[in-house]
Amino acid sequence: MSKGSYTTVSIPVQLAEKIEKRIEGTGFNSVSSYVTYVLRQVLSSLEEKEKKKEAFSKEDEEKVKKRLRALGYID
Amino acid sequence: MLVIGIDGATWDIIEPNLDKLENFRKLIQEGKKSTINLSQKPWSPSVWCSMFSGKSPEEHGHRDFVRNGEVVRREDIKVDFIWDILQEKGVSVRVLGVPFVIPPYNFNVDFEFVANGVPVEIGEIEKDLENITEKAEEILSKEKPEVFIVVYTTLDRVCHLHWGEPVVLDMYRKLDEALGRLIKHDKEVIVISDHGFCDYDKAPVRTLPRKTPRGEIKGDHHPDAVLITRNVQYQIKQPEDVFFALKEKYMGGE
Ligand SMILES: [Zn+2]
Repeated sequence: MSKGSYTTVSIPVQLAEKIEKRIEGTGFNSVSSYVTYVLRQVLSSLEEKEKKKEAFSKEDEEKVKKRLRALGYID
Repeated sequence: MLVIGIDGATWDIIEPNLDKLENFRKLIQEGKKSTINLSQKPWSPSVWCSMFSGKSPEEHGHRDFVRNGEVVRREDIKVDFIWDILQEKGVSVRVLGVPFVIPPYNFNVDFEFVANGVPVEIGEIEKDLENITEKAEEILSKEKPEVFIVVYTTLDRVCHLHWGEPVVLDMYRKLDEALGRLIKHDKEVIVISDHGFCDYDKAPVRTLPRKTPRGEIKGDHHPDAVLITRNVQYQIKQPEDVFFALKEKYMGGE
């Protein structure tokens, strides 16, 4: 998707009302901008976690095995 | 409650050196010491897993750090640990470095271990010890959880390759100093090892090979583990009892 283009997602009216109250007097000028902000945050923290898991599974896994072998924990 | 696990700690070194290990001495004076004669194999992954799941190796099924060529993860072990259960009940709990898996397992704590928790060289082992102690102090003084569990692999790692050498006592002294920094934060303390250690040729149970690509193995795991408790009512006789001690204290008869 090109930069600056938008699409519509649906959220419950009650939730939208809650958000409207929450952003009153803040820098967020619409429910959409607040929801976008929150979703970006959630997604980036999830991606961060997944990256950490992956980071261990390849090179590090071999290094760890070498160390366990050095101590006699594995053959 | 503060639980300090010390992988591979043995009375055979602590007792004759109590004059040099002032915090071990203090804890023993203020509490009770005993020996746990393991009914299971003196093997870290399965013993730590039993200690905090309350299950025997037959029940939890976890035996080794690596299975079928793959490093075993927490998710591969189908049990609830005491921290899962206590958190569910609203108890604040933090866990730093329980080495039933590699890297050692954390719960509600963000921390990375030196060499993924398998330090081999002396410098790495010392660094790992210091990092863990600093993090533990931070948790105890700032977050003040109701339950904090921290495990050191320091002594086990050094004993594999250096049993019988002066560096082993050096590490016990460093560990003793770490102990002093932690036990002042809580009145209720459990200090426990997953197994003891002994000279390779005197091991009643053989758990390690004689030689590895790194060199000769000098010591082996011993089935007598260390226990010191201060202000803990529950009778701990096997590793599994740590699970039950915590469960009873925070959940009563549930
Ligand atoms: Zn060991």
